[in-house]
Amino acid sequence: MSSFQDLFFGFSIGLQPLNLLFCFLGTLLGTLIGVLPGIGPIGAIAILLPVTFHMPPVPATIMLAGIYYGSMYGGSTTSILVNIPGEASSIITCLDGYEMAKSGRAGPALGIAAFGSFIAGSLGLIGVTFFAVPLAKFALRFGPPEYFSILLLGLTLITYFSQGSLLKALMMGVFGLILGSVGLDHIHASPRMTFGMMRLWDGIGLVPLAMGLFGISEVLGNIEKTTTRDVLKTKIKSYLPTVVDWMQAKGAILRGTIVGFFIGILPGGSTVIASFLSYGLEKRISKEPERFGRGAIEGVAGPESANNSATTGCFIPLFTLGIPSNIVMALIFGALLIHGMRPGPFLLKDHPDLFWGVISSMYIGNVMLLILNLPLIPIWVNVLKIPYRVLFPLILLFCIIGAYSLNNSIFDIVLMFIFGILGYLFRRFKYEGAPLVLAFVLGPLFEINLRQSLILSKGDFFIFFTRPISAVVIAVTIIVAIISFVPQFSRLRRKYKSSRKDD
Amino acid sequence: MNSRDLLGGFFWLVLSVFVCIESIRNDIGTVHYPGPGFLPFWSAVILGVFAAILIVKNSSNLKLGKRFVELRRGMKWNNKTTLVICSLFLYPLVLSVAGYFIATMAFMTFLFNLPKRSKMWIEGMSAFVVTLLSYLIFQGCLGIRLPKGIFGF
Repeated sequence: MSSFQDLFFGFSIGLQPLNLLFCFLGTLLGTLIGVLPGIGPIGAIAILLPVTFHMPPVPATIMLAGIYYGSMYGGSTTSILVNIPGEASSIITCLDGYEMAKSGRAGPALGIAAFGSFIAGSLGLIGVTFFAVPLAKFALRFGPPEYFSILLLGLTLITYFSQGSLLKALMMGVFGLILGSVGLDHIHASPRMTFGMMRLWDGIGLVPLAMGLFGISEVLGNIEKTTTRDVLKTKIKSYLPTVVDWMQAKGAILRGTIVGFFIGILPGGSTVIASFLSYGLEKRISKEPERFGRGAIEGVAGPESANNSATTGCFIPLFTLGIPSNIVMALIFGALLIHGMRPGPFLLKDHPDLFWGVISSMYIGNVMLLILNLPLIPIWVNVLKIPYRVLFPLILLFCIIGAYSLNNSIFDIVLMFIFGILGYLFRRFKYEGAPLVLAFVLGPLFEINLRQSLILSKGDFFIFFTRPISAVVIAVTIIVAIISFVPQFSRLRRKYKSSRKDD
Repeated sequence: MNSRDLLGGFFWLVLSVFVCIESIRNDIGTVHYPGPGFLPFWSAVILGVFAAILIVKNSSNLKLGKRFVELRRGMKWNNKTTLVICSLFLYPLVLSVAGYFIATMAFMTFLFNLPKRSKMWIEGMSAFVVTLLSYLIFQGCLGIRLPKGIFGF
């Protein structure tokens, strides 16, 4: 009952006109930022941070939070319409969202992304309201061995991202691990594969890599087909999901919500990991996994729900433990410190207006986002009718500005172009980008946690099996890996038997 | 039996050897105390194994001459794609010298003109408008400091 009372108190703060205004501004900005490829919430929050110093802390935090979860809504738009992830966590939405758009179903794809985000965000908020404190205590039990096990499970999902050759998918995954290790070593701070370039000390950026692999390579591939033919001449069939779409997507939305929420709670958990895990899970449990990568609506609903749910979950470690779980939370942590508030166990006691005000504004913000995004669907869908010869230069321009804006560096543009050409060659040689990106994101965390675990255990690998949470996760990983290889072994056995018969 | 996969296999094999050498330079460490080169080294070894499997799978009835012809046919490049790729290499060079406005206007003019559907001056005007709008929105409104060239903009 006290949670309800606290929530009502929060709404009394969140519904104040100033806070409503900043909630609206934050969600609007967030949606626009999510739509623009490359310019993500990190850049936007970093740019707007100085502006918030002149504002009271509650509306400032409400606006920054609105930008973050608003960008999750907007990020799916370009992923679906032009195969360019508007935000890193929308990378996986490209796989099925764009295929749906190509078959005239951009409206239902955008619609299910918006509804899924709304449902997941709302359910995630219910979780935050009632479970913030106990869940944060559970998350404290995660150390390097537990994180390593979870990340190992995440990497085995590479086997589920492959549409074609599993061998090629595994090679791309390993290549992603190698690319993720470029830069300064996290423990010894020695440069690895930087070729004397200081710009590579921070490693290869995810944004130039993803925009190059998905966006630039798509443009190069489409130029090759013809620049005179307009893409997507098929009639747009409808603007909203049908009953059948809802029946197919409802499970994915609920599962994505749960996966995203728990990943978001974990310190270090990110919306990118949440969306990839959700996709892998949906493909694994689907009765028709061959539909994934060809326009399966679950491939849009699950990841988009997961990334929104993760954004609400990641406020839990920040507010209750004072641990920012990702870079965006770190920026918000910094903003709160500047306002004289220390996130952590005493925040709820000392500043209940901030805690419950932000929580209630997220409920309000979710409704605002649904109202903002749904009517815009026909407008976004009509973007597809723009002739491709006009669209592709604009896509390249957005990618250039997006890549440059991260660090004000032309080098990031060069990197993006290099990965664009690589991505184009990968397409021609039938290699897929998704396994590479997953391994690239997870690789550095995987390595840090492996090495920290071995330092903790003085080199003893049994640490992963003697800690209960880690042991359970590793057992699940082994089962998942065996199950994914079973179809390959069956195929090889059938091939061997038929070749023996011919002999 | 695919020539592209064979070529791809050799590429990955060369890459894995290169990464192994770089990793050894960075100190692999031991299994119980991994160094900076540990993960890249073993990743490269695994990549090399996969590359070898790919090469072996596609090496049966190896007739190099026939494979080369097949590969050359399959790798036929579209002229427009080649031109765009070249422009992607040129753009950052021009950008660092001439600045965002001039470099982007030239780049956009080239891209709009690629399909050769309408008159050059129309494509030029479109490129100018697009570049100006992007400059105003991103530099003017959003405060992103776009690169300045020798002309100061």
